Amino acid sequence: MTRRALLLIVVALVAWGCASAATPPAPPPAAPVVTGPPAPDVFESPDFIVVIPKTPETSATLAARYLGDAAKAWMIEEFTGAGTFAPGQQAVIPRKAWNPAGVTASGYRLVPILVYHNLDAQPKGRLVQSVSSFDQQMHYLKTEGYHTLTLTEFLEFTRLERQLPRKSVVLTFDDGYKSFKQYAYPVLKELGFTATLFVYTDYVGAGRNALSWADIKALQGEGFDIQAHSKTHGDLRRAPGETPAQFAQRMQAELAQPRDLFKRQLGQTPETIAYPYGRWDADVLKQVQAAGYVAAFTVRRQGNPAFVSPLTIHRSQIYADMSLDEFVKNLTLYQEEDLR
Amino acid sequence: MSGLRLLLLGAVALIATACATAEPERAATTAQPAPKPPGVPRQALAAPYNDRAQALESDGRLREALQARQIALTINPDDAATRAAAAALQAKIDEQVAVQLKEGRAATQRGSQVVARRYYLTALALDPGNRAAFDALREQTQEVDGLPHTVKARETLAGLASEYYGNRALAEVIAETNKLQPNARLTPGMVLKIPEVPGVTLNRPGARPPAPRAPLPTAPGAPTAAAPPPTPSAPAPPREEPAEVNPLLAEAREAADRLDYGQALSDIDQLLNSSPRNADALTLKKQVLYSQGKQQLDQRKYRDSYATLNQLARIAPNYEDSATLMRQTRTRLIDEYYNSGIRYYREEKLPEAIAQWKAVLEIDPQHVNARKNLDQAERLLKQLDERRK
Repeated sequence: MTRRALLLIVVALVAWGCASAATPPAPPPAAPVVTGPPAPDVFESPDFIVVIPKTPETSATLAARYLGDAAKAWMIEEFTGAGTFAPGQQAVIPRKAWNPAGVTASGYRLVPILVYHNLDAQPKGRLVQSVSSFDQQMHYLKTEGYHTLTLTEFLEFTRLERQLPRKSVVLTFDDGYKSFKQYAYPVLKELGFTATLFVYTDYVGAGRNALSWADIKALQGEGFDIQAHSKTHGDLRRAPGETPAQFAQRMQAELAQPRDLFKRQLGQTPETIAYPYGRWDADVLKQVQAAGYVAAFTVRRQGNPAFVSPLTIHRSQIYADMSLDEFVKNLTLYQEEDLR
Repeated sequence: MSGLRLLLLGAVALIATACATAEPERAATTAQPAPKPPGVPRQALAAPYNDRAQALESDGRLREALQARQIALTINPDDAATRAAAAALQAKIDEQVAVQLKEGRAATQRGSQVVARRYYLTALALDPGNRAAFDALREQTQEVDGLPHTVKARETLAGLASEYYGNRALAEVIAETNKLQPNARLTPGMVLKIPEVPGVTLNRPGARPPAPRAPLPTAPGAPTAAAPPPTPSAPAPPREEPAEVNPLLAEAREAADRLDYGQALSDIDQLLNSSPRNADALTLKKQVLYSQGKQQLDQRKYRDSYATLNQLARIAPNYEDSATLMRQTRTRLIDEYYNSGIRYYREEKLPEAIAQWKAVLEIDPQHVNARKNLDQAERLLKQLDERRK
């Protein structure tokens, strides 16, 4: 009798168990006053967090909550291909860099580096760009969601130490014109952009259109990178008829002196150099490396994969007579190549 | 008591199995309580990632397949099948990376840079943090594939860049690859290498570009993208691609354009101070000295003009018609000194007159009248001095 009763209970239990499994769990009975929206479902592993929100979320809110920084929203956007998440829509959050080299089975990422020279109200020749076209280009970058990288961020990318947002670009300004302070700086500041200046030391404080060391130090304080561009802006390659001793002496002046001067004036030694006129050869590379520079920049018009050779990093010169379409052609971000 | 306990245990087991048959996905998750039980079974949530992993793996995209497995395991960490699949995939990746690296090194050793590059890239696609593959690519000298192009009449670098890349600005890259000046003129018959530029589609004239690859299988019979018509190779107006100019030189030119020759020369000298052999600066210096000398002559500043043209003569004795200008300014300067000497003499300012004639003789030691007048003035001055004593 008791056995029979027990059996019945067992059957009843089985039935109940299944029933409760089939229906969604009942809301907690007599729940205390709920503060805030219902908590999302969250799954975590060392590499990923998967969130199923109960209320609408954006990549920024998720990045702030789970990655500790809303600025990391791009990681979620690029991994999931979405920027907003409706209730119930899964969001996969990568917890760390998942592809620092930017190489996948279908190709590899490129980072464009743009070169500007002088700006003025009116364009002149190809290297004095009008302020209005510069303005237009910067606003284009902002509207299209580009991130401007500090030189350090870019160099970390080229050492496999940092994954970058897909739309990343480096802005550089050569020579050290006063117009940077007058025209470029306000626009960059307004848009939250950063830039790198390659200044050649004979020009600083000397040319009528040149920045002074005080200007440069102030810009450095504002977070702009200041890097070397030789002493005299001469073609670094060995000149015809130049003896090895003369060449070595000239390289000492062009490569080492700016380092000492930077140290004195700015309290830091430049770690990179932009070749004057973008010109270099094998001898120059050796000298640049021996002088202690870890990276150097040409003006070869193409983007940079992470594995770019560090002493011949590519940059694309922006000319005053380029239309916006022509400007945009310098922003290629990807090289397709089937790597399976 | 113990019998009852046994029965109860049996009941729990029964519940588990009964439910398992009814809802197989549920079984795994109910076996172990999750810290925060989801509304939908974990297995079901993870299933799309597992499906995706399988599709990616069969498509040869192993790294992405592994990521999909890792996401599936994030949701459902106790799924033994997924764990095994992920481990197998990781092993496959490791093995393939090792093969690619080995092949890459072998290719480097036999000097096949382009082939080696591809092995290393493939290794990185499999393992995007692979230091060995990354360093090998980084150290590779830049060797790129390219197409040969035989120059036809009226072709320009910018025209070729437009034809091959759809971007005239890439003329620079063709010039650099072929060791030409950026604005070099092309001669028909010369053979150029048109390099591949990463990120830029290289239009191969007369050939259909490969149809773009879809990331995952597309519907059969889907129309493939038609080849874009080759960019018409209309003769592009030749445009000079000026090389970058030294900023101080640019400033000097600017000053020269304003006819501010003094400023221009000071800029040039500043540049020549550090780069004495700068050919552009030397050329500009000659131009500026010539223009300045001529201007000073026109303004009858003969003393200045003579000094300027003398400076020009020292670096370029036969610049344009500078020799003629020099003769003119010299004659007029001599006249000027000589005549003002006479004027002073008449005003009985002997020392001043003497200085003027001495200046004449400095320019032209053979000037007979100046010599005569100077001698006479000096004699007179001597007599006056003696009379005073």
